[in-house]
Amino acid sequence: MSAPAARSPPVLPREGGTPPPERPPFLLDFYPLEESNQTGLSRFYDGLREGRLTTTRCPADGTVAWPPRTVCPKCHHGNLEWIDLPRSGTLYAFSAVLAGAPLGMEADVPFAVGLVDLDGVPVRLFGRLAGRPWTDLAIGDRVVFEPFDLPDGRVFYRFRTAP
Amino acid sequence: MTDIRRVAVVGGATAKFGIRPVTWAELAQEAGQALFAAVPALRTEDVDSLFVGAAEPERFAFQSHVAPLAAEQMGLRPHRILQRTELACASGQSAIRSAYAAIAAGLSDVAVAVGIEKMNLPSMAEANTSMACVMDRPWDGAHGATAPPFFAMVAQRHMREFGTTEDQLAAVSAKNHRFANSNPTAQFFEKTFAVEKLKRLPMIAPPLRLGDCSSMTDGAAAVVLVAEERVRQYTDTPAWIRGTGQYSDFHNLANAGSLTEWKGLAHASREAFRRAGIGPTDLDVAEVHDCFTISEIIEYEALGLCPPGAGGRFIADGRSDRGGDLVVNPRGGLLGCGHPLGATGIAQAVEMFQQLAGTVPKERRADDARWGLVHNLSGSANVHSVMIYGKEAS
Repeated sequence: MSAPAARSPPVLPREGGTPPPERPPFLLDFYPLEESNQTGLSRFYDGLREGRLTTTRCPADGTVAWPPRTVCPKCHHGNLEWIDLPRSGTLYAFSAVLAGAPLGMEADVPFAVGLVDLDGVPVRLFGRLAGRPWTDLAIGDRVVFEPFDLPDGRVFYRFRTAP
Repeated sequence: MTDIRRVAVVGGATAKFGIRPVTWAELAQEAGQALFAAVPALRTEDVDSLFVGAAEPERFAFQSHVAPLAAEQMGLRPHRILQRTELACASGQSAIRSAYAAIAAGLSDVAVAVGIEKMNLPSMAEANTSMACVMDRPWDGAHGATAPPFFAMVAQRHMREFGTTEDQLAAVSAKNHRFANSNPTAQFFEKTFAVEKLKRLPMIAPPLRLGDCSSMTDGAAAVVLVAEERVRQYTDTPAWIRGTGQYSDFHNLANAGSLTEWKGLAHASREAFRRAGIGPTDLDVAEVHDCFTISEIIEYEALGLCPPGAGGRFIADGRSDRGGDLVVNPRGGLLGCGHPLGATGIAQAVEMFQQLAGTVPKERRADDARWGLVHNLSGSANVHSVMIYGKEAS
């Protein structure tokens, strides 16, 4: 597992320094520490950069976990393999944040969120819903997975509703 | 069950809930003042152990190691067990369950369980950030998962699967706010909310409106629990702990399964009922976790008070109100009292003690109550904690 190419090195406060302005203080920062010197799951974020939605599967008992893990929750096997998940699905439930957003999300209000049943697998993911406003959404609507870049060099994902 | 000691709550008190111009430590002082005023026979030196329910003092008060801080503020010198309990919205009940376990096991004789939360900060967005890290923060919180949109999806699914209506949701809020009008410690003691008014309040997370959601509240409450042989020293009307149960099902929202069938609550309450030797129809009063209106509706179902899907009709038919099957949330609930996370479970126990003693105002009294249940959920209803109190020791 090597760090992704063409990306700046991990940006972390060190030796009394302060973090760059685009990354909030750690205890106000929702987004994960994605670098391989911080998490055993950095490959998930590498996958996002390649447009892939991945997670881990246990080679011993076949358990597919979400979120991805370093140890199987059922048999505690430690060498899990990475698999691709389907990148489309349907809305199982949704709502929207019209007030009371956390720091860093206030400018996004109103924004829709939902639970998405991925196609063909028993995996239901929570995520932000980009695209149509919440007033135009319905249970059963089709959505696609969409990774996106954060301003500080990290990457995250959301779902997008069909136009 | 035969070799553990019987335990009772012998008194308690709630400090004023609301948007309070006081610090976390000052709330602890108020809880101590209120407790010792409510239980005159209790002396500070009697208290051998202190359990402090506090969900997020590190974030809301920028303070760790809060158990000794609370002890100092309350004038206590615990010499057997001192600890904080954290289980988000159920942190207060966790303190009581821990005190119960300690006394039952013979490790404590007189224990105070106090719950304290200071939630209103200069920046509401910062407070909302702290609420969002109750969820699986890097996987769910980062998408904007706070409690309102999650419970909104629960409501959406319940409406779709069972035909539950906005009017039924509002009826829960109207009932609990009406009860809060007889509780001076409630955040909304002086505000009235009828169904029609509730339905005009702004949407927070559709289909949930402002009146469907409990508030960010500052507050504290304390109870004292003692071993059987010490009970009569403090009260003639103890509330005996007769059963308890808990169940933790999942954490990440991907692993929630059905949003409308709260199996964890069914498991936790079954265990509590089994230990108490009663069933749901024996209950006279219940304090359940109405963090949102839809929560109380599903709790009727999961507790076995009505069949799955029938919770909306249960409230609409008045079966959880005075004159119905049992009185649910006579204190005013989280909706009417506000929800200072660590204090809520303790304040519910205070209400249960007073209900079984028959000392609450008539407007919210469960007449001749013999059995009461307290429930807290925490997080995304992924953990359920239940306690059953009885008027009799056995």
